[in-house]
Amino acid sequence: MRLHDLRLDLCPPPPPFDFQAMAGETWMLVGAVGSGRRELIRTIAGLAAPRAGRIELFGQALERMGPRARARLRGWIGVVLEHAGLVPAWSVFENLALLVRYHRLVPPSELEEYVTAFVESCRLPPALLARPASELSPLESNWVGLLRALVIKPKLLLISAYLPQETLVAGYGVWAFFEEVVAPMQMTIMVDAGPRALPVSAETHLLIMDQGSLLAAGSAADLAGHPDALVRRFAYFDHA
Amino acid sequence: MKAAARSGFWRIVDGVGALLTGPLARLLEELDFLAIVLISAGLVTRGQWRFLLRHTLQQIYFTAAQRAYIFTVVGLIIGALVALPLIVFGIRDPQLLGRIMHIMMYHQLDPILAGLFVAGLSGAAITAELGELKANQAIEHLAAMGVNPYGFFVLPRLIGVVLSLLILAFWLNVGVTVGAGIMLNVYQNIPMSVFFRVCVSGLSYGSLALTGGMVLAQGIHIVLVQTRRAFQVRAYVDIPRALPSAFAQSFIGCLIITLLVSLLRYG
Repeated sequence: MRLHDLRLDLCPPPPPFDFQAMAGETWMLVGAVGSGRRELIRTIAGLAAPRAGRIELFGQALERMGPRARARLRGWIGVVLEHAGLVPAWSVFENLALLVRYHRLVPPSELEEYVTAFVESCRLPPALLARPASELSPLESNWVGLLRALVIKPKLLLISAYLPQETLVAGYGVWAFFEEVVAPMQMTIMVDAGPRALPVSAETHLLIMDQGSLLAAGSAADLAGHPDALVRRFAYFDHA
Repeated sequence: MKAAARSGFWRIVDGVGALLTGPLARLLEELDFLAIVLISAGLVTRGQWRFLLRHTLQQIYFTAAQRAYIFTVVGLIIGALVALPLIVFGIRDPQLLGRIMHIMMYHQLDPILAGLFVAGLSGAAITAELGELKANQAIEHLAAMGVNPYGFFVLPRLIGVVLSLLILAFWLNVGVTVGAGIMLNVYQNIPMSVFFRVCVSGLSYGSLALTGGMVLAQGIHIVLVQTRRAFQVRAYVDIPRALPSAFAQSFIGCLIITLLVSLLRYG
């Protein structure tokens, strides 16, 4: 993912910035409230138009693509926003199967097996699949929302939501879930999940935002010695 | 004093202007929305047509099949109610009765009633359902993950409701004819077969095409208004506000469409 001279659509207009993330990297967005973290995720997800600049995903510039090609490319992106965004009248299975079916990721005959195997690989109870989404608790809805973004095996995962710290299985936390399930998928991950959502180590990539623009980007260890006091304030690690 | 009066005058002119151009602006917005939906139909890939067909059939089931009973009952009652004044006035000429049925019921009131029911039942359900999906960010999630919201959410509902409205308008005509036929048979001794024959004989391809076109326009209008209002929902609190306004707007639109087609037909 490459952002060239990107200027988010905020008031007052923020300065442009460049950014690049490679496959397998996890970038955590940090910054004060109103620093543009949410807008950045929404702009990359195509839900908000940038004021200026270029977004390149998987080596292709979005603005040069036709609507059909852009839709196909968006099929490689998993998105988790503030609300779980499930279709309440459908079952969990139908919610998870929707994108797999829409993007024809597996033949129809293998769909049920694929979704069930995926849910089991996430250590979640397969009995969850039969339940209507309207009957799920907020915690369960958040998990299903995350699974829906992951079930398509995306190349880019964008998270703009507070990640549930508990899982539906006792003793299996969200950090373990990311290490066991998400990390092996080797996707680029951009997380705006609030403090303490995921562990921050010295190697964790941080993307520090301020006033709608990129203040600094790099590993937490590198940024800890940054000359800007604001960057140093956000470049914490080992305490998440 | 003079300046205040002048500014008051211009405010009134501004208000009148907005009142006159408002419906036109809404019509243009609706046509713009229709264009987006039609363009999205062109973007549907070959594998997604099966998806679209499934959702269209579901919409037809919810709109037409599940409401067939209500339309039968309503049709029979309205048919009986229409026959009563004819009985009171002592109209016995089958040709005249058939003509009255055509002009009053088949061409005007039945399509309006069918539109009213579809806007109130299925249209409101569409606004509530899509409004909820908009409020809980389901539409945003799916759009960000490559699902065209217009092709996926609006197009099947548009096709489904239009086809359902055609079926239901026809079914309502049948119910009204049977209801009126029974009443006229009981009170005026007009054989039902004679009444049905004059009702059917008055049908022409031209009038059928015009009525069909009118119902088609009504169906498109209902779905566009209801889905557009649903897409404007930002939070759950907007849904109760969107429902009545979408219903009123879609029903008024149906009345205007009927008026315009009637003017074209008889004017």
